Amino acid sequence: MNKILLIIKREYLVRVKKKSFIIMTLLGPLLFAGLMIGAVFVALSDSTQHNVLIVDPAGYLIKQEVADYKASGLERPRFKDTEDLTYEFTTITPTEEEFKNSHHSLWVQLDSVSYGDGMCEFYVKKLPSLEVQNRIQEELEASLEQWRVKKFGMDWKTYQSVKQGVTLNTHNVEKPDSGEHLREMAGVGFGFSLIIYMFIFIYGVQVMRGVIEEKTNRIIEVIISSVKPFQLMMGKIIGIGLVGLTQFVLWVVFSGIAVVVIGMVMGTSAEVPGNLNGEMIANPGVGGSMSLIENSEPVSFLLNVPWMQLIFAFLFYFIGGFLLYASLFAAIGAAVDQDTDTQQFMPFVTIPLVFGFIVSEFLWQNPEGTTGTIFGILPLTSPVVMMVKTAMGWNSSNVWELIVSMLLLIGAFVGTVWVAGRIYRVGILMYGKKATYKELWKWVRYKG
Amino acid sequence: MNTLEARNITKAYSGHVALKDVSISVKKGNVFGLLGPNGAGKTSLIRIINQITGPDNGEVWFNGEKLKPEHVEKIGYLPEERGLYKKMKVGEQCMYFAQLKGLSAKEAKAKLMDWFTRFGIEAWWDKKIEDLSKGMAQKVQFITTVLHEPELLILDEPFSGFDPINAELIRNEMLRLKNNGSTIILSTHDMGSVEELCDEIALINRSQVILSGTVQEVKNHFRNQTFRIEYSGYAMDLGIALGAAFELISNTPDESGNVAIIRIPEGRKLNDLLAVLLKDLQIISVNEVVPDMNEIFIKAVNEFNNAQAV
Repeated sequence: MNKILLIIKREYLVRVKKKSFIIMTLLGPLLFAGLMIGAVFVALSDSTQHNVLIVDPAGYLIKQEVADYKASGLERPRFKDTEDLTYEFTTITPTEEEFKNSHHSLWVQLDSVSYGDGMCEFYVKKLPSLEVQNRIQEELEASLEQWRVKKFGMDWKTYQSVKQGVTLNTHNVEKPDSGEHLREMAGVGFGFSLIIYMFIFIYGVQVMRGVIEEKTNRIIEVIISSVKPFQLMMGKIIGIGLVGLTQFVLWVVFSGIAVVVIGMVMGTSAEVPGNLNGEMIANPGVGGSMSLIENSEPVSFLLNVPWMQLIFAFLFYFIGGFLLYASLFAAIGAAVDQDTDTQQFMPFVTIPLVFGFIVSEFLWQNPEGTTGTIFGILPLTSPVVMMVKTAMGWNSSNVWELIVSMLLLIGAFVGTVWVAGRIYRVGILMYGKKATYKELWKWVRYKG
Repeated sequence: MNTLEARNITKAYSGHVALKDVSISVKKGNVFGLLGPNGAGKTSLIRIINQITGPDNGEVWFNGEKLKPEHVEKIGYLPEERGLYKKMKVGEQCMYFAQLKGLSAKEAKAKLMDWFTRFGIEAWWDKKIEDLSKGMAQKVQFITTVLHEPELLILDEPFSGFDPINAELIRNEMLRLKNNGSTIILSTHDMGSVEELCDEIALINRSQVILSGTVQEVKNHFRNQTFRIEYSGYAMDLGIALGAAFELISNTPDESGNVAIIRIPEGRKLNDLLAVLLKDLQIISVNEVVPDMNEIFIKAVNEFNNAQAV
């Protein structure tokens, strides 16, 4: 069997057989799915029952919202009591001590100027969720607005026609399919960026550790008397890369299963808040079903995402990015004797990678910024940045960016592997001293 | 026929010359001792033979062919700095190394079983290296080095880390491999094993070969007509009898009589010495003092270094 295949096989099997790999592969998706669903639920639902006391000293709101509706026998449209939120009105301001001892959990205090400027004091026993605060605020806003319209003798309909907001309906002529959801699509790409970023880091460091292990174990000399250092380095990089891909594929499969199972446990999807579906689908690591998308307005943009392009680009940048960074990690491993010495060289690898991640995040907020074009082309940042750009789709006017970026990544990979290979073959036989940058340069130029 | 020939090898690392015009030839079936102080250049030469690095100048020939990548499968190398994958199982690891040396999985398994039985270590197959003692791991390492029945075996300090019993086991295995036709390059500082095992040696000092030949040739080269003479009679008479014609190195009483070490200057023979002594003393025994490899090593290195210093 080809020696490089033997090395790939060993590197792969040793790692996938490890307990830590099996546990992470099984638990990863569960943790992810659980965390995500949990986080969304915590954010959306505040199970605490709130009883709000609205102190309305002039009694304007009490008349408008309670008394008038009671008199007419109609149900009041605002300040409706719900399962988690009930309202009580009074004109008498309590002391803090009285509030503390009362059954009210929240207290909104209006004063004479509040009716005009809307500034109210808000006393709480425990801070409610943002969602509950928003609801109270919206009810008060609407109520005070109506009171002011009446006070100034305006007609409500006239007021409504005067008070009109502005809506910008986006039509991207370059990307007609994307409609107004460019930002959301970029968000999908950002999910892929996150995965590439994570895998390059986790598995790149494993390559580095593997090299250091062989050096400190003194096994390296035995192996390179049988294979060329370059074969060993490439075998290690490819073997570990395959471990990463395996873990990723298993995560996708298990996440799908986990989401379905969790969905079943929680009941039908109708009970799941609308944007939760969106969250689950928007995150590629967790998967999701397309039938949910079609019925769900907030996630309909997912149909606009160029999935085939995105998956192809993902595989290309995942593999290209990993090979590029892993060979740098391998060179660092060869240049040092122990883990702690790696700090000297690590910034070279971590800074561009983290920077690419930051650019991606920025691009998500500003999808068509020039920053994205520049860092999408540069090989050290492109694997992470290009995911966001690809998710927004390519067209004839900007597809050159993708082509240049891919060609540069291939070129950079070949160049980096060559340089790393030269550092590696000398470094693995150097013991007991920490290499300086000057020495590394000498190693690159050694012949023979 | 020579299994290995290194011709005029030169190798330099950023200003430091590791090997300067080094030539050695290793005859088929011989044990060749590669000797020299630490840092002399032995490991550099071994790495070149193993194609871990290449020479700046010079050539290496293996079995009459210029050294090429395929030859690594015919060479077994046990480096001084050696180790194994601690987390891997013994059997898996041996299979891996054997296949890297070109054996098929089937061949490797059969040969390993044979070696494991001979060393009585069948039970180790599924153990992890980290669960073995240092000596046990060394045995496994030795097996992985010789498993593919290399034509040339390069052993760098093979006995270090072994207890006397296991060192003897390894020594016997080396001799068995030699009898089966393997050629062995033995790099060691243990001069006792050099005398015992080696047919030829090369002494490298400060990047150069300063001494080479068969062990007997080297020893002959360092013989300087010094004799150990056991005699009975007065020690003072010996000194008087010798006069200035012979160099008395030492003269001490022994359990059975007196013992003197005497060097005969060039141009004179043992008979001349005996003729002088027999007049006044009774000679019990006469033995030539042949320097051992340890003394030769020290002498050769010191002489070379002193000559360079001048």
